[in-house]
Amino acid sequence: MSELLTGLLQESISGIALGCIYALIALGFTLIYKATEVVNFAQGEIMMVGAYVNFFFVTQFSGMAGGLNGWVFLAALFCSIIFAVFFGIILDYIINRPLKDEPVFSIIMATISLAIILRSLTAMIAGPISLVPISPFGDSTIQAGGIVISVLDLAIIISAIILMGLFFFFFNNTRWGIAMKATSEDSEAAQLMGIPVKQVYRMVWVFAAIVGIISGVLLAPRMALLDTTMSYLGLKAFPAAILGGFGSIPGAVVGGVILGIIETVSMGTLSFHFAWIKEINDIIVWIVLIAVLMIRPDGLFGIAKVKRV
Amino acid sequence: MKGRYQDENLKWIPILIIAIYLFPFLIKNATFSYKYYLYILNMAGIYIILTVGLDLLSGFTGLMSLGHAAFLAIGAYTSAILVDQVGLPFELSLIITPLIVGIFGFLIGFPALRIKGMYLGLTTMGFGFIVKRLIIALREWTGGSAGLQVSKASFFGISIKNDWDNYFLIYTFVILAVIIARRIVQSKLGRAFMAIRDSEQAAQASGIHLAKYKMIAFFISGMFAGFAGVLFAHTSHFISTDHFDISLSIFFIVMVLVGGIGSIYGAVLGTLFIVLMENMFIPLFKDGLSQYMHIEAGEFQVFIFGLIMLLFIIFQPQGLYGMWLKMRIYWKLFPFNPRKRFT
Repeated sequence: MSELLTGLLQESISGIALGCIYALIALGFTLIYKATEVVNFAQGEIMMVGAYVNFFFVTQFSGMAGGLNGWVFLAALFCSIIFAVFFGIILDYIINRPLKDEPVFSIIMATISLAIILRSLTAMIAGPISLVPISPFGDSTIQAGGIVISVLDLAIIISAIILMGLFFFFFNNTRWGIAMKATSEDSEAAQLMGIPVKQVYRMVWVFAAIVGIISGVLLAPRMALLDTTMSYLGLKAFPAAILGGFGSIPGAVVGGVILGIIETVSMGTLSFHFAWIKEINDIIVWIVLIAVLMIRPDGLFGIAKVKRV
Repeated sequence: MKGRYQDENLKWIPILIIAIYLFPFLIKNATFSYKYYLYILNMAGIYIILTVGLDLLSGFTGLMSLGHAAFLAIGAYTSAILVDQVGLPFELSLIITPLIVGIFGFLIGFPALRIKGMYLGLTTMGFGFIVKRLIIALREWTGGSAGLQVSKASFFGISIKNDWDNYFLIYTFVILAVIIARRIVQSKLGRAFMAIRDSEQAAQASGIHLAKYKMIAFFISGMFAGFAGVLFAHTSHFISTDHFDISLSIFFIVMVLVGGIGSIYGAVLGTLFIVLMENMFIPLFKDGLSQYMHIEAGEFQVFIFGLIMLLFIIFQPQGLYGMWLKMRIYWKLFPFNPRKRFT
């Protein structure tokens, strides 16, 4: 019995790390959705671009520095974030500006087409060879009371917590954060109050790109190979965002972590003990999604919207 | 006499139908590799049946579906199992399978009563993933992930041996599907659909039972997809879950969107445009371009798709059919057209 318990605990920690990545991607959706009511289906692709760009910078810098060390990874991360800023600005110009007042359907299709473009463009530029991602922590692990935790998972969890904290602080305590909140509440009223709404939108897209690219940087070392299929993970972050309540930042985090744990545990211990879970473990997030939408469409933290005619 | 289509010019429709039936004879004389083109046209025909159904759901009722490949998959597998393992004749499968798929559509319609817009898109997407996994799980009947061989069909004693025979079978059904869809759109049902699309509150206030009509929309759309599924299974002779990916569902939406969402002819045009693009023009274009730069085979097509889709959404939201309408009005008013109306 204790074996089962340690197994579950072990997988839960790995699940929390995966869930933190889901949470970061979900945070990207949430930021954009809150401010502009655009649902960005390309967040997973932004993450994938982040992983590739970071890989490119790491290989370039390690060539320059003559080997891999901590500074190489830091410099690559820094350059990736600068790339993310420009990327976000470009996305704002392509997707957000022309489609501001279009129906939901067109916007969803536009972001899907953006996702297709990004995925195929990345595959075209990177070439057919799958790349092996480099982890800054190697395979090192920490032993704690029978549970083995990989340093990478720990780093993912810690950096996710730091990022979430920064965003929380930003949204509640800074001028720009409050301006964003006001814009998401009512963009016309915000404009009348003197908030530069266009710049707020641009900033939101930049933030979403930064979050996406950082989640890609964090996720890449967890994957065995770097290829474009990792963008499908972005789709799995939708159930996370909906479980937490779409448009709520704490909801995105909690939903992401819960889904990460559910997925990892069902793939590990539960599939080992129950044959039928083995059949459904890769679609379990979608079953959760449909269940949540049937039972409580507003999610855990969402507030029911009342539509006035 | 006032009829349903009094404001439309119907004279060209019989000519078009005759042209559809004469087309294979034309390309048989024109090119040596006509069998390949016939195969592509058959696939286009199957997709037209599906996208017309999808247009009824997404374009007319305003319910987004990102899981239509799943309906196609259910149709294809059901027909393959019914014909090859149960031993039903193909003609009976053509009736039973769409009904079964329609019932699946009915089931996915339940959440649609509470969920709107993007959430519905995600639900149907999840449905697509779940169906794909279930097909693999039911490996005793479906052959799992290895796929399933499907026998050739025979239609009332005429065995459908090759793409030549299949063309006439499929395009008969395509014409039927388009006619039926246009009848639906012009009927009370279609008007109810459009009322729901334009405003659910207003529709409800005018006495339209939202739940009933949304379920009917899903049922009808499922039936069209199931029909396409039957033809798909017996045209490609081999089905596996790889055929029915999420990207295929997105393709279907692209076809409807490029053609012009909310018009039946638009769905037909968009499907033809996308399928012909994929199979003929992009390879030609790629060959021309690959003299200058190195290009990966599959990715370039996908890239062009994404680009076309994005450009259509941004610059031409009414799609190909909307473009055609604009052009027609332009020529009708030719010397006196006010410039600003056509920007």
